[in-house]
Amino acid sequence: MSRLLKFNIFRYNPADEVSEPHMEEFVLEETDSMTLFIALNRIREEQDPSLQFDFCCRAGICGSCGMVINGRPGLACHTKTKDLSGEITLLPLPVYKLVGDLSVDTGSWFREMYTKTESWIHTTKTFDPTAIEERMDNKQAVDIYELERCVECGCCVAACGTARMREDFIGAAALNRVARFLIDPRDQRTENDYYEIIGNDMGIFGCMGLLACEDVCPKHLPLQNQLGFLRRKMGITSLKKIFKK
Amino acid sequence: MSISYVPVGKSGKWDGAMDWLQMLSGFSLILFVWCHAILESSVVISPDVMDAIGHFLESTGMVQVGGPLIFLVFLSHFVLGARKIPFRFDGQKTIWQHAKMLHHLDTWMWIVQIVSAMIILIMASIHMWVALSDLPITAAKSAARIQGGYWAVFFLILIPLVHLHVGIGFYRIGVKWGFVKDCNRAKFKKVVDVIVTAFVVLGLITLARYYFMSVN
Ligand code: HEM
Ligand code: SF4
Ligand code: SF4
Ligand code: FES
Repeated sequence: MSRLLKFNIFRYNPADEVSEPHMEEFVLEETDSMTLFIALNRIREEQDPSLQFDFCCRAGICGSCGMVINGRPGLACHTKTKDLSGEITLLPLPVYKLVGDLSVDTGSWFREMYTKTESWIHTTKTFDPTAIEERMDNKQAVDIYELERCVECGCCVAACGTARMREDFIGAAALNRVARFLIDPRDQRTENDYYEIIGNDMGIFGCMGLLACEDVCPKHLPLQNQLGFLRRKMGITSLKKIFKK
Repeated sequence: MSISYVPVGKSGKWDGAMDWLQMLSGFSLILFVWCHAILESSVVISPDVMDAIGHFLESTGMVQVGGPLIFLVFLSHFVLGARKIPFRFDGQKTIWQHAKMLHHLDTWMWIVQIVSAMIILIMASIHMWVALSDLPITAAKSAARIQGGYWAVFFLILIPLVHLHVGIGFYRIGVKWGFVKDCNRAKFKKVVDVIVTAFVVLGLITLARYYFMSVN
């Protein structure tokens, strides 16, 4: 006989005036290779059709199913129930706007973050669609791609003590994003330009090195190394700004 | 409540400078505390060795000048570190609940750093005042103080707290500034564990030596 899993799931529908935030218990029989994604779908199908949660790709690619799983932010589709104890507590990610139950709006947050960090290649070159694409060193391309792998699940920001305490802290996903353009040779922004974006206590100097971001990122992005790289880079830029007038 | 916000764009050239100063003040204090602990432990070899070291440091003026200088660094470090401390209750509640939720060692270590910091602020100030306002430094005077009882308890609290704060700070500087990469983080953490344990044990041995030393 397989295990009976006990789920404690956060329930609250902000759109419903009589709804009160509370925890609700569901019991489900574990099946082979069950992920939390499968479990939640079964609960919704068999026990409570009003349960709200997000998913799309069910393969750790779209980043929609981020939630707090037994205290740790992670992807539901990426988490096997056999790796968890028989009692599983699920909460929506903090920091983001709650849509309902386990569903949060990470999209608006990322959209705004991309706008504010000007998350695109800045160049004065005009694009010639007929020309052969400029070549890039393979190592450089791989390094950029490594940082591009972020699926925007939002787990790193939800796990960050600094982001929880300080609403104006920009978070690891954003800093990683800036690092991605900083190492891209096509982006013509200077260090001073990047300093304008993250050279302050809301940016890289606000990070206190708690490294929860690094430890929860389901895609294992090298966040610790990027944060260290940016702190050194921006730290040196700040000295240049002060001493070289 | 948190909704979507991602404010950036306030350029702060001084934010960078303050981050440097926080790191450098912290780093100088690490070196100071470790040197202090080692020199102090010379009493374990013999009180005469310690007296000789104390005499040397005073005759060269290093205590009279260095002491107040360290106190100044200490105060600056407090002011710089305090920028990150949640002094309002809602902030304290948030980080506490967050740490409980996440069960993540590095996040707990930060709370240890903050709590130890507040206690060190008071206790280290007292300690510095008492030590520096009653020169010269001699093993006999220190021993007499500690055998009085209260000071033994005082140091039993201060020693582990300082070494915890300093050790965590050392680790934090390493990872924050990227001196330690992700592949070395676990190893570095172990090294810091060993350093902290070694200094706490050394401190306790030193304390025991004072406690059981025959005065006069
Ligand atoms: C007056 C009492 C103290 C207070 C209020 C205080 C406060 C703090 C705070 C809040 C941090 C963390 C900052 C961050 O995470 O960004 C910190 C870091 C640190 N503290 Fe203290 N501290 C005190 C005393 C000391 C002492 C006596 C030492 C050493 C002897 C020390 C060494 C360090 C080091 C090395 C760091 C790491 C620096 C960094 O992260 O940049 N602190 N301190
Ligand atoms: S390392 Fe910085 S960004 Fe990552 S969790 Fe810690 S404070 Fe947040
Ligand atoms: S960096 Fe990792 S944890 Fe953060 S949003 Fe991207 S994939 Fe998710
Ligand atoms: S459903 Fe796409 S990442 Fe989980």
